[in-house]
Amino acid sequence: MSHVSFRARGEDVALEADYVVVGSGAGGATAAVTLARGGAEVALVEAGAWRDPEHYPSSTYGAMRDLFDDWGAQVTRGRALWPIVQARTMGGTTVINSAICVRTPGDIFAQWERERGVGGDALAARVWAAQDRVEAELCVEEVPPAARGRSNTLAMLGAERRGYESHWIHRYAKGCEGTGQCLQGCRKLRKQSTNLNYVPEVLERGGHVLSCAPVARVTLEGNRAVGVEGRFEHPRGGGAGARFTVRARRAVVLAASVTHTPVILKASGVRSPALGEGFRSHPGTGVFGVYDDPVDMNTGATQGWASTAFRDEPGLKLETLSIPFEMVASRLAGGGLELMKRLVEYRHIAMWVHAVRAETVGTVRRGLFGKPVVRYTLNGADMRRFREGIQLVAQTHVAAGAKKLILGIYGMPYSITPDQVGMLADAPLDPRAYIAVLSHLFGGCTMGADPTTSVTDGAGRVHGYEGLVVADGSVIPSNLGVNPQHTIMGLAQVFAEDLLARA
Amino acid sequence: MRHAMRALYPRTEALPGLEDTDDAAFLARYRQETTRLMWLGLVLATFVFVSTPLLTVYLPLPSFLLPRALLDRHAYRVTYSRLYLLRQAVFLLKLTAGLCWGSHPSVRAKMAMAPYPADPDTWRTS
Repeated sequence: MSHVSFRARGEDVALEADYVVVGSGAGGATAAVTLARGGAEVALVEAGAWRDPEHYPSSTYGAMRDLFDDWGAQVTRGRALWPIVQARTMGGTTVINSAICVRTPGDIFAQWERERGVGGDALAARVWAAQDRVEAELCVEEVPPAARGRSNTLAMLGAERRGYESHWIHRYAKGCEGTGQCLQGCRKLRKQSTNLNYVPEVLERGGHVLSCAPVARVTLEGNRAVGVEGRFEHPRGGGAGARFTVRARRAVVLAASVTHTPVILKASGVRSPALGEGFRSHPGTGVFGVYDDPVDMNTGATQGWASTAFRDEPGLKLETLSIPFEMVASRLAGGGLELMKRLVEYRHIAMWVHAVRAETVGTVRRGLFGKPVVRYTLNGADMRRFREGIQLVAQTHVAAGAKKLILGIYGMPYSITPDQVGMLADAPLDPRAYIAVLSHLFGGCTMGADPTTSVTDGAGRVHGYEGLVVADGSVIPSNLGVNPQHTIMGLAQVFAEDLLARA
Repeated sequence: MRHAMRALYPRTEALPGLEDTDDAAFLARYRQETTRLMWLGLVLATFVFVSTPLLTVYLPLPSFLLPRALLDRHAYRVTYSRLYLLRQAVFLLKLTAGLCWGSHPSVRAKMAMAPYPADPDTWRTS
């Protein structure tokens, strides 16, 4: 077994394995461990450094530097510049997300079958069986009462009073202590990110792991993928190091993320009219409720409460989200003495968010210096959903007893009282009026039966190529309306099983 | 740069300001560690902040020549500019300054939060 980290120039690395898996997040790590358990020799190649919980930063600055892709600076190009949150570290985004586990809804498989000619009941049964296994292995449990904190508890109260379904979130977490540090990586070893389980297991089963190793391209011989290549990148400053090449005896599995996988394929010379098309997301924003008693939202699970009651109509998910204090400082509107006055209220505020099941479709392209460029502007229908979500969150705050609401919407008052919530029905529909985030990403290498409208088939195999499989969120051809990690893990496991069956 | 950031997070009776933190060391570290693009963005954002008092307090002066009260008014109004890109530039400035201000032990103590342990800045090397 071997782990190869950054190597300086001149110390080139060449490896060979049955399968090369690019990316160690939800898709890559799951595919890699499935292949390793099937007896294959696997080389897992990750662009970021391998950080264990004792290496995790505590501050938000440290998280942006050490764990986030490009310091969290990737934004959509379109009418508004909305950040795209992804990680670049061993374990991928599973290290910095809230570890929310939601099974793939059954209607999704029917939709894929109807619209894309893939999926259906057979795939649903296999994905759900895979999700059963993942849930057992990664200790999925409901947020325990001691870790709920006041923000999550208030949200539950608000939803009960409003009369809609909501629940404590199920997460890949074992005995959460509620330190509110999900976004910086769980230093308490509670969150079961893939760098703690599946990646070490790949090593234990005789595999190889390369870290600090961003793949530049897949090596193709004719239409067959035979490996990957790139240059090591230093975790501090990104300086280029030695070259690495990893040869794949059987197949290359790409799981570098929705933004990076299409770019790697493009750089490799893969031709498909659908490459980079079909980008989708769950854009969302938050509303702060201000309460009489301290909420201290930084204590308790970062995300402990959710509602999927509005998934179908109007197409929303509601959640609590306790962002770090440093981010609240910039998220509250204003500057100078007025901002400082507003920040005094911090202990009394709770942030709850919505995520829109958006219909809008964007693109992922290879930009300057090879970085991904995402073009995406929410259409009018989605902006109306977006606005409706803000109303729902605000109404829930009011039902929970908030004495005022902080909106963060340009063109509207900084805060409103509970009896002014109706104003939100006329909130602007211009994306530029909002500070929003794209957190759940789909598409770019969408799967489907038709090679003219899809990049991969229903088993993740790239149309027209041998030994080239995609196993991350980029194959997902529709918006799920729920958190995608479990779906990505389920699909990756199924695709890896198919590879083993064909070997 | 520190001038602009300090104007966004000034000291008040209730809270320490950015000037009460080691912002010079923070910026030196940030410059060294961040990407060139991020640093360039921050420089441009500072330029935007310094050069726009004409749009906010109607004086053709750079922000560092404004009296304290007018500087504070500028720091407030520039975050509400009608120009989206100007708002976004100042948001970047505010976000970066917030990373320094919000992580300082004296500020966190005011919010009943424990100080952050030092970030290890380490990783697996083998």
